[in-house]
Amino acid sequence: MAGRALKRLMAEYKQLTLNPPEGIIAGPTNEENFFEWEALIMGPEGTCFECGVFPAKLVFPTDYPLSPPKMQFTCDIFHPNIYSDGRVCISILHSPGEDPMGYESSAERWSPVQSVEKILLSVISMLAEPNAESSANVDAAKLWRDNRAQFERQARRLVRSTLNLPPL
Amino acid sequence: MMPTTIPMGGLGLTLLSTCLTAGVIANAYYQKKQFYPSVVYIMKSNPSIVALYLMAFTLALLLGKLLKKIFFGTLRAAESEHLIERFFYAITETCLAFTVFRDDFSHKFVALFTVLLFLKSFHWLADYRVDYMERSPIITRLFHIRIASLLALLSTIDILLVRHAYYSTMSMGASVQLVFGFEYAILLTVAYNIGVKYICHGIDLHRENPWENKAMYLLYTELFVGLIKVMLYVVFLIIMVRIHTFPLFIIRPMYLTMKSFKKALQDTLQSRLAIHNMNTLYPDATAEELQQADNVCIICREEMIVNSGVKKLPCNHLFHALCLRSWFQRQQTCPTCRLDVLRPTPAPARPAAPAAPPQQQMPAQGAPANMVEFFQQVAEHQERARQRLAAAAASSRNLQATPAGAADQQANPAARGEALPPVPPPLPFPMMGAPFPGFLPPPFPPFPIVPPHLVQQPQQQPGPSSSGTSTSTPVTPATASTSTASSSASAVPGAAAAASPAFLPPFPGMLPPPTAPADFGPLTLEELVALEGRERRHVEARLKALSNINVLVHAALVQMTQYQQLMTRLDLEYPLPPPPPPPAATTTATQVTTSAPSTATSTATTTSTASTATTTPTVTTASTAGATDAPSASTSAAADSSQTSSVSSTPINSAVSSPSSDSDVGTPEEIRRRRLERFASGSGN
Repeated sequence: MAGRALKRLMAEYKQLTLNPPEGIIAGPTNEENFFEWEALIMGPEGTCFECGVFPAKLVFPTDYPLSPPKMQFTCDIFHPNIYSDGRVCISILHSPGEDPMGYESSAERWSPVQSVEKILLSVISMLAEPNAESSANVDAAKLWRDNRAQFERQARRLVRSTLNLPPL
Repeated sequence: MMPTTIPMGGLGLTLLSTCLTAGVIANAYYQKKQFYPSVVYIMKSNPSIVALYLMAFTLALLLGKLLKKIFFGTLRAAESEHLIERFFYAITETCLAFTVFRDDFSHKFVALFTVLLFLKSFHWLADYRVDYMERSPIITRLFHIRIASLLALLSTIDILLVRHAYYSTMSMGASVQLVFGFEYAILLTVAYNIGVKYICHGIDLHRENPWENKAMYLLYTELFVGLIKVMLYVVFLIIMVRIHTFPLFIIRPMYLTMKSFKKALQDTLQSRLAIHNMNTLYPDATAEELQQADNVCIICREEMIVNSGVKKLPCNHLFHALCLRSWFQRQQTCPTCRLDVLRPTPAPARPAAPAAPPQQQMPAQGAPANMVEFFQQVAEHQERARQRLAAAAASSRNLQATPAGAADQQANPAARGEALPPVPPPLPFPMMGAPFPGFLPPPFPPFPIVPPHLVQQPQQQPGPSSSGTSTSTPVTPATASTSTASSSASAVPGAAAAASPAFLPPFPGMLPPPTAPADFGPLTLEELVALEGRERRHVEARLKALSNINVLVHAALVQMTQYQQLMTRLDLEYPLPPPPPPPAATTTATQVTTSAPSTATSTATTTSTASTATTTPTVTTASTAGATDAPSASTSAAADSSQTSSVSSTPINSAVSSPSSDSDVGTPEEIRRRRLERFASGSGN
């Protein structure tokens, strides 16, 4: 019998494969190690990230689901809540003890109730609605707040580059 | 530097070192022609030695690579990353160790340290590999063979080297061997830890169901190994300090070991607590409960079956006991709703009855300090507001000063409170249930919970309002003021006594309030402190919130009452509204009942009704309504209203200033004149 974390990850993988939610594809990078996943996220419709397909990497701790996984986009991305190296800064990925931005209540932190699917859905909604209050990428947050048009242009350029399309 | 990280460089290095070594040997043999002289030549020539070192290093690397290939196959990216990191630290520490033993520095010494480094890295790799067992769904037979043989090999080598170090130290005295012996002893504990982990994981892998106690065994092993390690480090430190010098190179590993030992200890305690709570606090879920709820455990996403250890939390959420246990080791909240599961439980959890009452006393004890602070803040704010108000109503204030000076002794302290507003009183809080038996009105009567500004509010009024009563009744002013003051005096102690326990449980449906305190006598200081810790914070927060709410509600009520009064008067008595002075009876009632701040005690209510009985019925209802709840916050309302609405501030001003209850007195000039007259006559008496 495999470990608890492994079983849960397998269950989630199965669930995601059988009933894939819209705009999300996720699974282990290879079948030998269920603790590193790859995910593809579609940019939410009606936003400047529309049509984009963003690859990301999820790394699960051994004690998943008691501790949250780490998520990092593996493509270039320009967003107030994503560090420039792709790490996602979202409150449900923080375990209750830590608070990098010093604003989150423990109610919105990680708990075993969360799952890969919920994380990815949260990330999609985060793409749609950046939270400029807790910016991981200050430049992006500033641009998003002060010059929305420029931010959207930049985001569209990014979307095109993820699709391997030439810039406009 | 590592065998794993130099695939291309390794080849070049091997070639280079082989060529160099061959060159050195060929050169020596060419010059000396014979074996023994060539060896001596090589050993005496530094360049040759360097070449040979390089060769030895290369050979060591190659051997390491070979062993790695045998025991681990290909390293995963994370593994080699960790390995490089730790290897770097290990090399730094080795260099530090070299400085300590520079006298013993020799070829053998370097060789021994190299061996130590290699053995260390193999221990680490074995550790990573065994951890990986938990992650990978596919564990092959090869994996088991590799790990088992590696562990056997490593521990054998460790034991042999420890033995060797021990005997050489015994026979030849303390030397570098001491360091090695100690290092290998540490490595032996590591190997032991890995071995236990491997066995546990192995057992777990071969079971049908997850092994419940694996985590516990692992935790205890970690704790045990941590303890041994800490002891080893301490012993080594002492020996080294006595023999050589302070061993700088063990500081970092020693610190890390102690940290992890501390963590293991904490984890163990948390785990024990969680297990204990699990067994005692939460009931097993019944079959119906399982059917009603979604029977999937949210933590492991697997089905929950009756009698398979399903627990129900106070919030009615169901989980596997084991899942819940491991979660509670991290956090004591419900995973679904984040209810703090430990919070409501202490009371039922502790069977010891004597512990309960003192626990409930804690809030009462802890509260005042915080409350005083809070009230002083409010009072300061209030004072500022009041001063603005007073400036606006300067004329009436002047008039008030006169009665204050002329008033009798009981009114006097109160008037002084008005005259020297900015001093926040040192509040006595009779919350410990101590009544004030022989009542002599202190400068600031001991209203239990009323904030200072609220306490001061009634004090502004006795002078004027008592004389107000005097006009409405045929009594002389002096006696009137005395009677009113004494009536308020009689109300105060009763109200104080009634209000002090009554304040804390104001709202039903909240958590059980602290009851009247018993004595702390049988408790030791530690017990008290322990009790204080959590309870106190909770209660302080609660009290703060409550008093905030209280003040707000009172303010609203007072405004409402004043508005009502105003409207009543406007409607009934003045077709054309001049600045309406509210009836003095209202003020009296207000003043009297202020002593019972948030709760209308029967004493206060009866007093107020009695005193207001002489005035018009409409006013009485209004004032009584206000008197039951509102009065304590009237000043705060005044503060607000002084800035916002002139409508509500007007009655307050006049309530404070105007003594007259006669409704036919219209203008402020008239009021003032009458008051002056009255007080002149009063003081004359």
